[in-house]
Amino acid sequence: MSARARILDRIRAAAAPGDRQATVAAWMAAPGGGPLPHQATSHGAQRLTQFMQKLDAAAATVGRVSALAELPKALAHELRKRKLPARIRFGDDPVFAGLDWGTIGTSRGPGRIEEPATLSRAEFGLAETGTLVLASGPDNPVTLTFLGETHFVLLREADLCGGFEDFWTAWRERGLDPRTLNMVTGPSRSADVGQVLQLGAHGPVALHVFLLS
Amino acid sequence: MSLHEATTPAFRANARAALDNANLQAALRGSRGNFITKRARAREDLPEFDALRDRARDIKDHVLAHLDLYLEAYEAQVIASGGHVHWAETAEEARAIVLDLCRMAGAKAVNKGKTMISEECGINDFLAENGIAPVETDLGEYIIQLRGEVPSHIIAPAVHVTVPEIEAAFRKAHTHLDPDRDLSDLAALQAEARGVLREKYFQAEVGITGANMLIAETGHSVIVTNEGNGDLTQSLPRMHIVMASLEKIVPTLEDAATILRILGRSATGQEMSVYTTFSRGPRRPGDPDGPEEYHVVLLDNGRSNMLATPFQDMLRCIRCGACMNHCPVYQAVGGHAYGWVYPGPMGAVLTPSLIGVEQGGQLPNASSFCGRCEEVCPVRIPLPGMMRSWREREFEKRLTPAAMRRGLGLWAFAARRPRLYRIAARLGAGLLSRLGSKTGRIASLPFARGWTGERDLPAPQRGGTFMDRWKAARR
Repeated sequence: MSARARILDRIRAAAAPGDRQATVAAWMAAPGGGPLPHQATSHGAQRLTQFMQKLDAAAATVGRVSALAELPKALAHELRKRKLPARIRFGDDPVFAGLDWGTIGTSRGPGRIEEPATLSRAEFGLAETGTLVLASGPDNPVTLTFLGETHFVLLREADLCGGFEDFWTAWRERGLDPRTLNMVTGPSRSADVGQVLQLGAHGPVALHVFLLS
Repeated sequence: MSLHEATTPAFRANARAALDNANLQAALRGSRGNFITKRARAREDLPEFDALRDRARDIKDHVLAHLDLYLEAYEAQVIASGGHVHWAETAEEARAIVLDLCRMAGAKAVNKGKTMISEECGINDFLAENGIAPVETDLGEYIIQLRGEVPSHIIAPAVHVTVPEIEAAFRKAHTHLDPDRDLSDLAALQAEARGVLREKYFQAEVGITGANMLIAETGHSVIVTNEGNGDLTQSLPRMHIVMASLEKIVPTLEDAATILRILGRSATGQEMSVYTTFSRGPRRPGDPDGPEEYHVVLLDNGRSNMLATPFQDMLRCIRCGACMNHCPVYQAVGGHAYGWVYPGPMGAVLTPSLIGVEQGGQLPNASSFCGRCEEVCPVRIPLPGMMRSWREREFEKRLTPAAMRRGLGLWAFAARRPRLYRIAARLGAGLLSRLGSKTGRIASLPFARGWTGERDLPAPQRGGTFMDRWKAARR
């Protein structure tokens, strides 16, 4: 008998009688049912305000971009402000491919060992906690999220969700199946040295969000 | 070749040494209170927090009652996404599986995200003995690996290490760097570790992570971190191995959200940790990064034997560390005194379950029964009640020290004879109250030096025992 069979047998021997299959099927068929926190239910302008406040609380920064064509200019401004070289690395996302990057030098592909600045597009945002949701793949390689010293992320305001509940519904509807779904809430940090929280552990030191209206 | 060597039977000696360890006490003083304040604030900011705890408890209870079915559903999803599931009944089996996988990947170096299951299996020593170098990438884990130690806390593994000790460890290990470099501030230490580990991320053939959750609906494994090391660990090498115990299963993505809402808040006071990553299978066709192979090692190691016993509720644990952050015993002696993988109240209950009451039976005695652990537990595990159950078993198996058994026997003899008990109580209380009649306190008492050596014993108030006063009041 395999380890698998022995483990499952022990679990079954301990189980209470009853139609357990039906109970499981019913639970899976109706996901959710937990308490809905008020902070996960924002709408409209209030949702946007809450998202920006939560980003701030997570030590991320945010700026608004009125049209996609404005993104290179906004990025150039941020790079200058942060005294970063005028270079950016991103994936094959068609949203970025069609833009005129002007004076910014661009490179394409996954993250590299030293990369001052990377750019990704988030699929969704959660106003509940100021969280960005990214889907890995050729368009937005997962390592760009972790290997850029400063990580820039583009998010459409229309993709902003109130909280986990409407997010999971929207996620299922979009039908994506990436290797990783990455929820990101602020730049990386650690308190392992002297129990004092410091930004920039292994991931980015800074996270900036471009909100596209 | 041994597993993570347990020193649990020596808890009393370990605790005494910990109290005398000035560096440890300084480190504990530095962290004490931080976690408590942050959790309290996070709880205040979320009115639904306690309702979410109830829901999380119910989700976990539901999973434990149907664990076989959810494990099968989870496994089917992992396979459908191109991943592999390996079942291990014991720590030894899990180690053998991991070693085989590492050899298959031709691994010389293995990077590790933080995983307590790998500690339980003693993976690091085992890989090293077999010629494969394990590299811990969580900053705290990296620090203790350099010092040749094991974690003293399940989410802050290096909480017992002071800053000068970290500097010394880095200077000793990073000999390729300028010996005269300035490491006087915390940022310099963090930056140095970041730089050293960044290179290592690109060298390993295998990345091992744990899992905070496994989702039956989708086959996702979920890791929750703040540093980003877990993601680099699992995204850069060609093989990703997830080590997880059976009870990490949750049914749906929505259920995972409920757990996430209480996990970060209970652990560090964060609404969300920085990185919550859901991984499913290997890299997809066309993906420029991510592992080519994805393996999950499911570890039982005694957990299925806890089902339908008084200790089943312990399997609800989501490893937030709130119980140890709020435990006066843990805060006084630190995690290493507990002598095995899991310290604090959750460790005191889990350890005897996993390695036996003969080995771990001392730990449930490391409690003042103040009840704070149960009060803060996000999944409402009745930790003090379980520790009491373990104490009973330890007593029944005659594992309790002889002096304690005699004392308990004497008390039990008197407690079953109310008249005798009352006479003894009246004599004792009268004597103590006369001894402390001037100040209301007793500074020194024979047979009770364990107490009076450190502090005064309050003298009983005058006017008789509780029973005497009760009778007088009813008249």
